[in-house]
Amino acid sequence: MEKHPITGMEKRLITGIGLHSAAIIAFQLALMQLISMVQWHHFAYMIISVAMLGFGASGTLLALARKKLLHWSPWLVPALMTLSGLLMMVVFQAARLEMFRFDVYLLFSDRSQFPILAANYLLFFLPFFFGALAIGIVFIQHARSIGTYYFSNLLGSGVGGLLILVLSGAIHPLHAPPLIGLLSVGGGLISMRPGSRYGLIAFNILALAISLFMLKQPASLPLSEYKGLSRTLNLPETSVVYSEPDIQGHIEVVQGPALRYAPALSLAYTGAIPVKKQVFVNGDMYGVIPRHDPDASSHILDHTTMALPYVMADREKVLVLRPGPGSAVSQALLSGARRVDAVFENGGVFRLMQTRYAEASGNLMHQDRLHARNIQVRNFLANVPAGEYDMIALPLLESFGGTAGLNALREDYSLTKEAFQLMWEALSPGGVIAVSSWIDYPARTTLKLMATLVETARQNGIARPADHIAAIRSWGTITFVLKKQALTELEVARTRSFGERMYFDPALLPDIQEEERTRFNMIEEASLLAYLDLIMEGTSGLERDYGFVIDPSTDDRPYFSQFLRLKHIPRLSETFGQDNVPFLELGYLIVVVTLVQSLLLALLLIILPLLRLRRSPRRKSGTLLYFGALGLGYMFAEIILIQRFVLYLGHPVYALSAVISTMLIASGAGSLASGRINIPQASIQRVALVVAGILLAYTLLLTPLIRETLPAPLFVKTLLSLVIIAIPAFFMGMMFPLGIRFLAAYDHSQIPWAWGINGCLSVISTSLATLIAVESGFRIVMLVAFGSYLLACACFFFGKWFFRTPVGEKIPG
Amino acid sequence: MYYLGLKFLLLTGCLLGYGTAAAQRDPYEAERRQMVRTQLQARDIHHRATLRAMGTVPRHLYVPAAQQRFAYQDRPLPIGYGQTISQPYIVGYMTQIIRPEARHNVLEIGTGSGYQAAVLAEIVDQVHTIEIVPELGQTARRVLGQHYDNVRVKTGDGYYGWEEAGPFDAIVVTAAAEYIPPPLVEQLKDGGKMIIPVGSPFQVQLLMLVEKKGSDITTRTLMPVRFVPFTRASQDQ
Repeated sequence: MEKHPITGMEKRLITGIGLHSAAIIAFQLALMQLISMVQWHHFAYMIISVAMLGFGASGTLLALARKKLLHWSPWLVPALMTLSGLLMMVVFQAARLEMFRFDVYLLFSDRSQFPILAANYLLFFLPFFFGALAIGIVFIQHARSIGTYYFSNLLGSGVGGLLILVLSGAIHPLHAPPLIGLLSVGGGLISMRPGSRYGLIAFNILALAISLFMLKQPASLPLSEYKGLSRTLNLPETSVVYSEPDIQGHIEVVQGPALRYAPALSLAYTGAIPVKKQVFVNGDMYGVIPRHDPDASSHILDHTTMALPYVMADREKVLVLRPGPGSAVSQALLSGARRVDAVFENGGVFRLMQTRYAEASGNLMHQDRLHARNIQVRNFLANVPAGEYDMIALPLLESFGGTAGLNALREDYSLTKEAFQLMWEALSPGGVIAVSSWIDYPARTTLKLMATLVETARQNGIARPADHIAAIRSWGTITFVLKKQALTELEVARTRSFGERMYFDPALLPDIQEEERTRFNMIEEASLLAYLDLIMEGTSGLERDYGFVIDPSTDDRPYFSQFLRLKHIPRLSETFGQDNVPFLELGYLIVVVTLVQSLLLALLLIILPLLRLRRSPRRKSGTLLYFGALGLGYMFAEIILIQRFVLYLGHPVYALSAVISTMLIASGAGSLASGRINIPQASIQRVALVVAGILLAYTLLLTPLIRETLPAPLFVKTLLSLVIIAIPAFFMGMMFPLGIRFLAAYDHSQIPWAWGINGCLSVISTSLATLIAVESGFRIVMLVAFGSYLLACACFFFGKWFFRTPVGEKIPG
Repeated sequence: MYYLGLKFLLLTGCLLGYGTAAAQRDPYEAERRQMVRTQLQARDIHHRATLRAMGTVPRHLYVPAAQQRFAYQDRPLPIGYGQTISQPYIVGYMTQIIRPEARHNVLEIGTGSGYQAAVLAEIVDQVHTIEIVPELGQTARRVLGQHYDNVRVKTGDGYYGWEEAGPFDAIVVTAAAEYIPPPLVEQLKDGGKMIIPVGSPFQVQLLMLVEKKGSDITTRTLMPVRFVPFTRASQDQ
């Protein structure tokens, strides 16, 4: 039990650690957002994983120079916190300098990018390294009362997670780091001893001045030149006319005389294509602001394949899912639908269309027949009564020219088998699901879409899906229509006649003739149509043998845009050329690269201190396994809970904040409670078993629980989420301080190493968990987390083997 | 087979002849010859006029100074303003596919550095080219003006085409867009061809050939094109 009374200085130090920890987590999340805006999300992930190895590196340095660092700690800890805070303020701005600038796209083609990448790693590594070193010194110095300090660390981190949630909706992301850095500087100021203040106070005034200077800098980001926004702004007389920070991503509206929207427009169209303002979220194209004219006879989208469902039959009640800023909604209204429901997922864009751009869009959002809601697709579908809609329209998938697989690891619960099942149930007897896609090469999106539609039909008892699916193809897009009942002769005839008028070719019809499939739009590589036929037949095993993953995504593996099979890379290299393979799916490959680099660096950081620890006669395998298992298990559980709650709470930002903050705060409480436990060794086994038991139960029950309670009101779901997350987190939070207390008695010199191992494994597990989730599903990731805690238990159950002491000594506790 | 071999020898001889004469004043002559041989002929670019034109046009003059040493490599290069000069193979393929003839009037959308226009100008009577970025348009006009009197460069939005200069036997769109502007289809002669790359520079690219025959307009999606990403534009800004 931690019986040591806390002095005034220690109270200040505990507060300082809390503030500093809040800054570190808030900075990590802010950096993630900034790098995602300038480059792409996965690249942010790659940079930050190395930066977070700063925790592991701090452990290594502590293991190598423990005595000196502890000796200097009274002034070193506040100085490190302040230094870390200062670096937080400046590193992102420094990364804008020419010498640090590079592009993620070029990594796989231009070797000169590697030194620049390494320089970026180092730059972003520094604030985390110095920050973690301060925390590590304090933990080692106060190992016997670690529970209180660890509580402060976790509580601060939890608050930091919430802080960034508040900041990102209020200020430009570029202005967050200078404010966050002040927290660490404040932590340093509070942690100073009374006698050592003057020099450091001057340091703090300097920090304040730097922070103010950084806040004065213009809020503009040096975007990758390959980002959609950069390319658009290169056009003459084109500029950003509106910019707004938003919790779901920075929104920018761009205006220019050459900006038009007409995806794969029919070559029979002879009118003008209207100029439209474009909306970008985090520098990526989100859509165009439509100009709704209720008196117009047709919509520009009526000259694309997306008009097919409206041409086939009249639709009374239409549901439009994720229409971007609303072009598809305008099309649905002009089609004559009696009622149009629209589900907008991006709250910021939704509000923009209701207010600032209401007039510019012809008051689209205020049309009588429109019922627009800002809600996530799955949450909406969970509450739709059966048989409600005559048509459900999904957005145009993929993008013109492809995305190089940058969205590969984005969870998309609106395109899973389960989501399509909900859509099917929401259809009236004659209702249809309509979905369009850019035709990609090699075919992936189109085939996965087809496989999902066919499987939806089959699992609802349709023996011959070919009688229920129509598809039409232009030079660039394909639109599928899946009907609950069999297609009628009239619908088939209208499809043909529409194709004739627009120079489109029918791709799928119940009585399709081979010669009509390539009348207007010929394909040199005709395999696309053959593959569609094979999927329709359902007996070929194409999904299994194809070079890419094209079987439907599920709630357990909700990665609709993930296609790459790692084992097929050699085959793909042969077909498309080695240089091209990375661009088939950049997002996934970046995670693989991240894992490899994290593993290599982590191994180095774990092995290096062993040179120093070799002198200790006590066995170290227990420390390696126990703290490694904790780092891995905790992060695996956290990542899976985040993924699960994206579906539950509706948006990744909410899920991320709720899970991280609740877990950290609950773990902090667990850490504090662990101080009351007398015998760490015996308790560790019991606590580890409790955690393992909860995780096993979650593996089996969490998915059905979430599915059953999805329609519940948000406050009920929020409350339930907090309970689900907090229970395991409380017990998980006990395990690290209990382990440190055990080590304090067993072999104090191993504590910094344990801190480093825990940090390294936490980093490795983020990319490892993603890889396992993609390849095997969320359940397996949760099972690995369960296994990790069992391993942690085993370390002490078989303690005599793992923590062997010199002859004559007993294992403490 | 024998005939093809003979054609190859004659053509190579022709190019070699040109190279010998020009080698002293053109340090890139050997590289250009190799480019034609390894990047074009080896990949089934066999249209004689295209090969001759690409063996003649000094590509290095159409890239920024800092990129000149890479000019004949098998990849696109940045020319600033987020634009690129296409890799030689793409230029060769797009030129070959429209089957340009001396009497033709060709429109190019997206002048960029002017290289594609220069290759076309070696073959056809008239080339009209439109660039949307004013700075690129000015540079291209200057460089092309030094070598050709059959190329007209206009700065503006390619969407509208060049009505007063049409109709065109062929249209080469070098900058892909997610729609084909109706005025371009309008300005294409009956029997004319339009070639468009489909896909961003980093993808396995497709090319699309649009053909206008009477009242029908057809498209043909052509072979995937190997592509190597380019180095960053800002390096030479």
